[in-house]
Amino acid sequence: MEFKKNVLEQASHITDGCMGHEDAFCTAACPMHTDVKKYIAQIGKGDYEGALKTIREKLFLPNTLGRICAHPCETDCRRNSEFGQPLSVAGLKRFAAERADRKELWEDSVGEPTGKRVAVIGAGPAGAQAAIDLRKAGHEVVIYDKLHVVGGMMRVGIPEYRLPREVIDFEYSYLVDLGVEFKMGIEIGKDVTFSQLREDYDSVIVANGAHKGTIPPVPGKDAEGVFNAVDYLKDISLTHKFPKAGKKIAVIGGGDVAMDCARSSWRIGAEEVLLISLEELESLPASQEEIDESQEEDVQFINGWGTDEILKNKAGKVKGLRLKKVLSVFDENGRFAPEFSEETQEVKIDTVVFATGQQVEDITDGQLEQKGGGRYVTDPDTLATNLPDVFAAGDASGGAIVVQAMALGRKAAASADRFMKEKDLAEGRNFKLEYSFETRLDVPLPKGTENLPRTSGNHRSAKERKRDFKAFDLGYTDEQAQKEASRCLQCECKLCMTECLMMNDYGECPQDIFGEFLEKGEIDPIIPYSCNMCGGCTHVCPNDFKIGETFMGMRKDFILHNDGKSPMEGHKAIEMHQKLGFSKIFCTKVKGVR
Amino acid sequence: MTEKMGFMPGCSLPSYTPEGVKKTMEYLKQIYPDLGGVQKCCGKGTKALGQEEKFKERFAGLQKDIDDVGIETMIVACQNCYKTIKETSDHTDVESLWTLLPKIGLPEEVRGKAKDSDVVFGIHDSCSTRYEKEIQDGIRWIMSELGYRVEETEHSRENARCCGFGGMIVPANPDLATRVMQRRADDFESDHVVVYCAACRSSMMKVGKKAFHILDLLWGPVVYDDAPAPEDVLSSPAKSWINRYKSKNAVKQVVKA
Ligand SMILES: Cc1cc2nc3c(=O)[nH]c(=O)nc-3n(C[C@H](O)[C@H](O)[C@H](O)COP(=O)(O)OP(=O)(O)OC[C@H]3O[C@@H](n4cnc5c(N)ncnc54)[C@H](O)[C@@H]3O)c2cc1C
Repeated sequence: MEFKKNVLEQASHITDGCMGHEDAFCTAACPMHTDVKKYIAQIGKGDYEGALKTIREKLFLPNTLGRICAHPCETDCRRNSEFGQPLSVAGLKRFAAERADRKELWEDSVGEPTGKRVAVIGAGPAGAQAAIDLRKAGHEVVIYDKLHVVGGMMRVGIPEYRLPREVIDFEYSYLVDLGVEFKMGIEIGKDVTFSQLREDYDSVIVANGAHKGTIPPVPGKDAEGVFNAVDYLKDISLTHKFPKAGKKIAVIGGGDVAMDCARSSWRIGAEEVLLISLEELESLPASQEEIDESQEEDVQFINGWGTDEILKNKAGKVKGLRLKKVLSVFDENGRFAPEFSEETQEVKIDTVVFATGQQVEDITDGQLEQKGGGRYVTDPDTLATNLPDVFAAGDASGGAIVVQAMALGRKAAASADRFMKEKDLAEGRNFKLEYSFETRLDVPLPKGTENLPRTSGNHRSAKERKRDFKAFDLGYTDEQAQKEASRCLQCECKLCMTECLMMNDYGECPQDIFGEFLEKGEIDPIIPYSCNMCGGCTHVCPNDFKIGETFMGMRKDFILHNDGKSPMEGHKAIEMHQKLGFSKIFCTKVKGVR
Repeated sequence: MTEKMGFMPGCSLPSYTPEGVKKTMEYLKQIYPDLGGVQKCCGKGTKALGQEEKFKERFAGLQKDIDDVGIETMIVACQNCYKTIKETSDHTDVESLWTLLPKIGLPEEVRGKAKDSDVVFGIHDSCSTRYEKEIQDGIRWIMSELGYRVEETEHSRENARCCGFGGMIVPANPDLATRVMQRRADDFESDHVVVYCAACRSSMMKVGKKAFHILDLLWGPVVYDDAPAPEDVLSSPAKSWINRYKSKNAVKQVVKA
């Protein structure tokens, strides 16, 4: 049966615009699209195992990410945009992992062997995620890492007091379960050449991260006692020491890495720790949590100052810094171009750590093109490089945080899989869903929403924690987790579905019902003939979609194709009823007279 | 400003209460001595089935009746009649009884009659006029003039939910219709619900509410908590048609009186 054009148009207008299946802010912001709403609701119901399973559908590192994820989900959380108090999504994730994660719950099946072999360079989150996905697709996977420990920057960048190492090892054992092979302590480009690797494997994933620390060209930078953040944190991570450091440490930088350096400095025995940034306190790039925690630990902040010169003693050792006052950090085009005034000050210190950015090292002997920050040039959609068998992922291809590295690892794996199967790299892929995106969800706050404060966690006292490497955050108690979970607004539209009983019988939202109608070109008449035409759906719809009217249009078409009669058996009586309602016996007209 | 006024009871109201129709018209006649009358269906049911052509035909018949007896403004007590005439007629004005009564006032003898009633009525607004604030205000005005206490709910006025009768779904999907009725009934805390559509009343009765049409309250005895609601006449086709016939006669009688 053919439906009229206006009915089809109305139906596609609704199908295209309906927000019923639109992702919540958190899920859209997460590059891995973890079903945040679902697991938070499960935690709220006390179903910790269910929550853990939900998390594990997307993330093999629930506890790790629960502690250190830079959580774009929280930035986009409705409670953040409305009240500046986002859900503690990461904290709840950690809670679920701590309460319920067990190896028995891990889904460790792999695909039929394909006979293809892939080399992954780097055991960081990007390499690990790529390895998992490729292994699941049935390929043989070997990870190479120059370190003897897994985790990449999570292991040698992120300090241990934020991420205990046994958490990483436990979660990474999943890769071993899947049959991923690890070749540790092998540096590509030195122990094995990149060309050799390409010869030995069908495809190569390059995920070597950004491990080259930088030191800006300031006078005195060759003094003894000047270090970069990468080397500093790596040594501290691996040995809990940094013998070359003195007691008065200045960290230069205003981001999270700088905070990590400063806080780590206490833990290797510093007596004084300064944090010197170009930016003023209010505009530090670091997360507020890290700033607060650093200040609790008595890191002394000197904000709005730049390094004019590193002062040395006669032996060539650092003895202090001359700082110059910052007038502005960015130019009118928003480009980084600091301006300084004449004003200076000196500080006495014996060690300088520059936390001013990390770069990607070339490990391919120039075979891959590089761009700013050393990042490899890739097709952003597929992460393909100038070499057909090579894909780059993680920080090496433009990510900046762990969960992005994972999404990029997954993307590179999907491309490598297609390459090895000789399939087109792009065909049929929805690239939008492979990374963070902006949801179209635009709904009023649920009725009665109150501004409830974020549930604070249990941090060890600053005085106690700043001298050891044990976890500083003890995580939520059951009660705290329940309370925090109860703040979730469970953002979704489906407002019409709370009004209309009938649509619930035929789908989850109008998009299902009208989408199916368009796809099949037909609809069971019971559906349009079950609409009360009450307008409740349109009344609550943020888009004012004329749902009832569309059902009405369908009814009219059914009538036209059915000799002017309703296709519903039960409507025979109504037709009779209507006939009588217009019959002489029951009708009258009388003219009024005075 | 002397529009020729007429009254049209519609379908469900005359099938439910010939008494109510008669008393309403008698009162209107006191105010408008040359009140005319038409009893016919407005065709909403036909329209709801999707029978566009047949609806046009049928409405044209109604329009002819209205024109034949020279009615310029039609007073209606049914929200569907109100909407249908408003949307379809190009020259007949329509006025809801519920907005007219506040203007002309209630008869002296009914004002404050229920001030001692112990009932609190939930108000079931009709979904077809969810955006007609004036009609909704009129209902509340009448209730307060009579002296009844009312309870507003989250689903009052423009947030009204369907009684379950709308869209001709009862014969098409009876199980669903019952669920819709029950859900609507559950919106009210009070057992007593006042409605201003006879079909809505029947729906609420079917799921156990003590539902009163506002004309029952206007013209009938004062309602106390222990009194039963009037019978659900619309559930019986035979009784309904007999009533409709009686109402037709009432229309004639009153206009000609
Ligand atoms: C100090 C610091 C703190 C951070 N804090 C956070 C945080 O709190 N939250 C967050 O989400 N992100 C944080 N990040 C960022 C995050 O760590 C990275 O984005 C992420 O680890 C990148 O993952 P990756 O797999 O791309 O690379 P990496 O994790 O860097 O892993 C790359 C791996 O490749 C290996 N490798 C390098 N070269 C070779 C070679 N030639 N041969 C063999 N192996 C090689 C390295 O040893 C390393 O194991 C932080 C980064 C730093 C530096």
